[in-house]
Amino acid sequence: MDYKVQVGVQSHLEQMGPLDDRTMEDLDDECLFPSEMDAQKTQSVDPNQHISVSGSLPFNGNKMTRNGVYKSIKTVVFSNKLNLLMPFGPLAILVHKMTDSNGWVFFLSLLGITPLAERLGYATEQLAFFTGPTVGGLLNATFGNATELIISIYALKSGMKRVVQLSLLGSILSNMLLVLGCAFFCGGLVYHGKEQVFSKATAVVNSGLLLMAVMGLLFPAVLHYTHTERHVGKSELALSRFSSCVMLLAYAAYLVFQLKSQTDLYVPLGEEVNQNGENLDNNDDDEDEAPEISKWESIIWLLIMTVWISILSDYLVDTIEGASDAWDVPIAFISVILLPIIGNAAEHASAIMFAMKDKLDISLGVAIGSSTQISMFGIPFCVVIGWMMGQEMDLNFQLFETATLFITVIVVAFFLQEGTSNYFKGLMLILCYLIVAASFFVHEDPPTDDQSKQPGT
Amino acid sequence: MDYKLQVGVQSHLEMGSLEDRSMQDLHDECLHSPETDARKNQTTYSNEPLPFSDGRLPAGCNNMIGHGVYRSIKTVVFSNKLNLLMPFGPLAILVHKLTAHNGWVFSLSLLGITPLAERLGYATEQLAFYTGPTIGGLLNATFGNATELIISIYALKSGMTRVVQLSLLGSILSNMLLVLGCAFFCGGLVYHRKEQVFNKATAIVNSGLLLMAVMGLLFPAVLHYTHTERQYGKSELSLSRFSSCVMLVAYAAYLVFQLKGQNDLYAPINEENLDDDDDDDDDDDDDDDDDEAPEISKWESGIWLVILTAWISILSDYLVDTIQGASEAWDVSIAFISVILLPIIGNAAEHASAIMFAMKDKLDISLGVAIGSSTQISMFGIPFCVVIGWIMGQEMDLNFQLFETATLFITVIVVAFFLQEGTSNYFKGLMLILAYLIVAASFFAHEDPTSANEKKQP
Repeated sequence: MDYKVQVGVQSHLEQMGPLDDRTMEDLDDECLFPSEMDAQKTQSVDPNQHISVSGSLPFNGNKMTRNGVYKSIKTVVFSNKLNLLMPFGPLAILVHKMTDSNGWVFFLSLLGITPLAERLGYATEQLAFFTGPTVGGLLNATFGNATELIISIYALKSGMKRVVQLSLLGSILSNMLLVLGCAFFCGGLVYHGKEQVFSKATAVVNSGLLLMAVMGLLFPAVLHYTHTERHVGKSELALSRFSSCVMLLAYAAYLVFQLKSQTDLYVPLGEEVNQNGENLDNNDDDEDEAPEISKWESIIWLLIMTVWISILSDYLVDTIEGASDAWDVPIAFISVILLPIIGNAAEHASAIMFAMKDKLDISLGVAIGSSTQISMFGIPFCVVIGWMMGQEMDLNFQLFETATLFITVIVVAFFLQEGTSNYFKGLMLILCYLIVAASFFVHEDPPTDDQSKQPGT
Repeated sequence: MDYKLQVGVQSHLEMGSLEDRSMQDLHDECLHSPETDARKNQTTYSNEPLPFSDGRLPAGCNNMIGHGVYRSIKTVVFSNKLNLLMPFGPLAILVHKLTAHNGWVFSLSLLGITPLAERLGYATEQLAFYTGPTIGGLLNATFGNATELIISIYALKSGMTRVVQLSLLGSILSNMLLVLGCAFFCGGLVYHRKEQVFNKATAIVNSGLLLMAVMGLLFPAVLHYTHTERQYGKSELSLSRFSSCVMLVAYAAYLVFQLKGQNDLYAPINEENLDDDDDDDDDDDDDDDDDEAPEISKWESGIWLVILTAWISILSDYLVDTIQGASEAWDVSIAFISVILLPIIGNAAEHASAIMFAMKDKLDISLGVAIGSSTQISMFGIPFCVVIGWIMGQEMDLNFQLFETATLFITVIVVAFFLQEGTSNYFKGLMLILAYLIVAASFFAHEDPTSANEKKQP
């Protein structure tokens, strides 16, 4: 093994400069094949090479540490083709310092965040190995959409509450329509002779939660829109904060319900279900449930990824308005459509892959579970964070967005209630998403309601 | 057979001297078309299958042609009691020329269109015999609501986009609530001891499509209503046109999906799906005379199709021109006429057929007539009109205004909910009919605000 890499380890995270060629070479020669994480394997043909990393590193020998660190980096960083996008992150920072082109900075940081988001999910899974199924489920449930939450928190800090609302809404819409639709469509095409089935019970529970979230969002919006609140401006805020607490309570109860009945009726909806101790894959031969990196490594990588995502989110949020001007598309379109599609690329690919392997329950977990998580946890959480920060983030998403969410949830809940899927249903969901995207393309907030301050660059 | 008829054939369509002949013919030689039970409004006539087996006319002999034409007319025109209304068509034109009484012209042309619409459906079916199940299904899917489309295109030409929107909406509402409700109700009364069942899968696919159509209609309306469009007026139009193309693609995919899966899971839900089935897929257990033989030849079907379409177009022209006059003469809003009156009378034949099939415990066919028609109008008819308007340069969009969009939304949800169980009884039917009463009353009390009124003077 080339010791240039070991030296390069510490400086790896600052500049991916000299390692670019190494990255390619490493991928070709020593690509790890995580067997139970089919989802993240976006390249198809590499044979298994299990590098056996045992649970704990002896911290005594320096050489051992470096070796372990090297292996850790190789496992985490170089094992996924998606990580080719990683250089875009620092590149975005460079471009930002050198030029003023907001459009480019936005685009590059978006691309840079994508692999980091995926690796964050990976690190969360790995950690879940060591914490047992309960806490592991909780981890997945909380950190599953950590990227969106981090971006939202940065936007909140800049006072751009509209961007927060729109990006969270867009995440829900893209998960429910686009990701689910693509999964149904591709799965249906592969298995066009029969209808694929999924667990109706889980889908119905999730639909119920989504409807409850819509209810929570609907009341502040309608209250505001009919001018029937007691104190203009204050009422919706107070109502939103109260509703958010209620929704968080509901989400907590949902987790308890899920984890308790895990072995009974419901399949756990954590993204990569297998890590939580339940072996759902009957088809995989290499069903190793061994984690690939140690517990401490997972935690450290979790922190590293979070820090990196935070940095890039900062740039992302700062340049969103500039990008909107540069590309002449409304901020609504960027926040609702572009941001979630690219940010969710990894989840998207994994859902499609599982559907094509006839494991629709997992695809559903990825897609609908993610929507439920954002709507019942992410949005109320942001309201509470805004409350603590002193920002006036509320649940009044304005009438158009609320109506969009409402009709979308109803359409999806209806499609899911049968418990079967085929390519036509997937196609309909995708076409619905097209209509939604087109609507947001011609939609912009009226000037009186526009509350996004100028981002400080 | 009276040769006065042969002479009268050319002048038949003016219908001057043939009225008494119509009655006599119906009494004496009513043809009983077994697979089109639906349209047999009279109950007791025996079968007289005329020997049309070859389906072709020897085109050589004049006598033969005359004979064939006579038989064709007898089959098509005189076999249905509903055709008694046919004279009203030319009568409407007469009244229009003689007086300026818009109200009368409107109601007469409406009554005149009704039998023509029904015969158009019949001719389409007959043609479907010769084209095989696939194209036959497509024909039914497209021409099933040809009457509404023809009326809409004429209205578009006159720039009356609001009338187009309202009449198509009314068609959807009447099919979903009134026709379906009556079918469930009557079927439930006849079979009141057991629950009638229908194919859940088809119903759910259709409900899904209806919801998607609602989605397509909702966005332009909400966009306009919340004043959040980027370019006032232009945004909804371009969004509507884009959504219409998407909806047409979805409808095409639906047809492909239907026709491919025809033998697997889903029963074809075209109106008279019996004609398109393979012979082994026999839905009728009760009919003894289930001859799947067509009654008129292929060329005759095509010619009758064209003739009926031409007639419907002529009457539609008068209909559209006089709608505003009728609204003033009767003192009811145009919304009510377009949404409630026009579809009920225009759809009378489909209505009767759906009820009849329900009473024979063939709910799947009733559902195909009712819900299939709604799906067709919402996913094909409305986007098609938007595209036609686009081609014509008319600004027809999907913004049906908030009241109408909300009505469609709540109706689709109610119906989707009712259908999801897969069973029916008279109470469900009654509820649907009463829901329609509420809708009708709402439109009776509803009119567009003057600023949104875009109709030109006829």
